Amino acid sequence: MTVIHVFVKQVPDISTLEYDQSSLAPRLEKATQRLGEIDLVALEAAVRIKESLGGEVVVLSAGSGVSELVLREALAMGADKCFYVSDERLSRADSWVTANVLSRLSRRVGSPDLLLCGEASSDEGNYQLGPRLSEALAIPCVTHAVKVELDGNVARVRRALEDRVETLESALPLIVTASLELATPRLPSLLMIRAASRKPLTRIELSELGLSEELVKPLLERVSARILKTTRRNIVLQGEPRECAEKLVESLASEGVIRA
Amino acid sequence: MRPVLMVAGDLDELLELRAFIDLVGASDAKALIPENLLNDGRLSTLGLSRVYSIEALDEAPAEALSTTVAELVRRDGPGIVVAPSKKIFREVFARAAQNLSAPCVTDCVGISLVDDRLVVDRPFLGGGYIERLAVRRLPVLLTVQMQGRRPSARKEEGFEAVRLGRLSVEEGTLRRVSVERSARGGSELGKARVVVSVGRGFKRREDLKLAEELAQLLEAELACSRPIASDLGWMPEEKHVGLSGKWISPQLYIALGISGQVQHMVGVRNSRVIVAVNNDASAPIHKEADYSIPLDLYKFVPALIQVLRERRSRAG
Repeated sequence: MTVIHVFVKQVPDISTLEYDQSSLAPRLEKATQRLGEIDLVALEAAVRIKESLGGEVVVLSAGSGVSELVLREALAMGADKCFYVSDERLSRADSWVTANVLSRLSRRVGSPDLLLCGEASSDEGNYQLGPRLSEALAIPCVTHAVKVELDGNVARVRRALEDRVETLESALPLIVTASLELATPRLPSLLMIRAASRKPLTRIELSELGLSEELVKPLLERVSARILKTTRRNIVLQGEPRECAEKLVESLASEGVIRA
Repeated sequence: MRPVLMVAGDLDELLELRAFIDLVGASDAKALIPENLLNDGRLSTLGLSRVYSIEALDEAPAEALSTTVAELVRRDGPGIVVAPSKKIFREVFARAAQNLSAPCVTDCVGISLVDDRLVVDRPFLGGGYIERLAVRRLPVLLTVQMQGRRPSARKEEGFEAVRLGRLSVEEGTLRRVSVERSARGGSELGKARVVVSVGRGFKRREDLKLAEELAQLLEAELACSRPIASDLGWMPEEKHVGLSGKWISPQLYIALGISGQVQHMVGVRNSRVIVAVNNDASAPIHKEADYSIPLDLYKFVPALIQVLRERRSRAG
């Protein structure tokens, strides 16, 4: 039976995030929490593999203030069970700490054939979890996948880099990080949402993972964050296309950004 | 001041890394580059004490390359290791960092010393914010967002060249079955004065001819938003501008049929003038533009081409 571990992260909803007018800092404590978009993509890819080959999709998550309601969303999309760690000490976790906790959590709950996560989280965008898990678990990793196929014990993954598209093959187990193009997440039906409420969701204490102090101590510390405000002139050109084009060319030429 | 190791795939990248490191200074600088760059005369003006080279570095698998980077860090003890923010280098550095129990920061846009503490700035929350991270332990591995920085001139100096040969791929790991190279050309994007960029407002691939014609008239480079390269494959990944693609700062950026999500805008924020053409007047790009044209690009762009042609022929 194919066992797939999918790593998901509870992140602030960026579209409704507010910021403090004087400090320009994001109001993260007030933000609505949700699953990252890229995590839903990874999850969708896992569920589709399960639907065609059979098997089990296990969702893993770690953070502080983790909400079971948010994780139920992953179960509603078709995952079978979920294990998570929620600990105040993880509120300052960097990629080093997150990889140490999640690799240990994955090892504790089973021996997966495939491990899937997003190429980068929607909030931090570090691009580090997959490669770091690969080192921590000594399992090979393919990043930026746009297609994943399993054939028996072999995975074939297509991935897009800046200047080339590669197809790689590996025996399982394998870690794959999802590119946004890997799959389009489904909207769970009411039936699936109801079914999700009966699926097992298990909290595991950080202390149960037996991580040394060294492995849960962050190596980076966020000292500040502020919104980037751009000031543009917002000149709206109205009228017929021809008229607008003339106005635009006139303006750009007088600013010296195009040849007069 | 700390010793530094710079990892780059070409000379432009190396120049930019040197300029980035110069923001905090380096007591000693070494580099790891592709073998075929060793003969470039400009290498001797970068203040390097030693240059390691690898054959076909850009084709080396991430796993093998990260092992080499970790070995060099253990051997030479640099405090800061830098590489350009490209997919392969982010992966290599994240791996090497885990291997070294070290921090790694991707997509850095700034570096400085605050009260003797090394801090780096990077995009946060989709690119709409900047976060400042303090580094608590060295060595730190940083991937640097390429933004066209250039170092100030140095006098020529000799360096020791150490050839590391070709990296072997261990057995039992991944096998590369096929590689399809996309057309080069994105490298010019960073230097372009004018960029014409296309988004989902284009309905068919052949319609991109409109943008090409405009770009030709303006002597501009073409670029695109993420879906045009990744979802539709109408243009190579190298032309993709935005958070996960290129960051550019032309004098003029013309966005055609681009909605202007924060992940796209972060890549063009440093443009001097931004023009937005999008028939959806409520598209976010209109708030981030100097000139906003809420018209159908299929009607506006031909008119713009016509006006430019007439001006050119009048100017003779």
